[in-house]
Amino acid sequence: MDTVTYPESEVARFIEENLIPLRIRSDSKPYPEKFNVKWTPDLIILGPQGREHHRTVGFIGPEELIPSLLLGLAKYHFDHDRFEEALARLAQLLTDHGRSGSAPEAVFLSGVCKYKQAHDPKPLKAAYEKLSADFPDSEWTKRAYPYRLL
Amino acid sequence: MTDRIQWQTEMDEALGLGQQSGKPILLDFFNPQ
Repeated sequence: MDTVTYPESEVARFIEENLIPLRIRSDSKPYPEKFNVKWTPDLIILGPQGREHHRTVGFIGPEELIPSLLLGLAKYHFDHDRFEEALARLAQLLTDHGRSGSAPEAVFLSGVCKYKQAHDPKPLKAAYEKLSADFPDSEWTKRAYPYRLL
Repeated sequence: MTDRIQWQTEMDEALGLGQQSGKPILLDFFNPQ
């Protein structure tokens, strides 16, 4: 991450603009044990109260880190029932990084956010249809499979 | 805006900055070796 991903100016700007960056050694105490860190790099999005909202384990290249962080920011808002803010982050992810590894989960979560906003099942079915068309082999397409019946 | 990440190293300080700014924290557990 230090030699490939973090030096990218776009990555550094995104992190500085949207997050408080915090690095902790995996051999220190007490946080690695508290967060059950078993392998590195282990990246976690925490709310300002210290609650975990999103985690990735393993190397992430510069082209995948920003969409992963956008997904984490969307989950942070989703977990606080701020669906408009979550949808804005997901739209940014799908517009700017629509073929990234985070995109299928973003489609799934967009459908869930819209459902929770309006209590209308149509966005769930639409999410399944988009997933099956654009990402037929994704685990998120499988998770959305029941929504085809709505 | 800097093109270099200004990492915090203390949890409490980072959480305080997050509460002040409304930004979530990106916590990177790294292997120093």
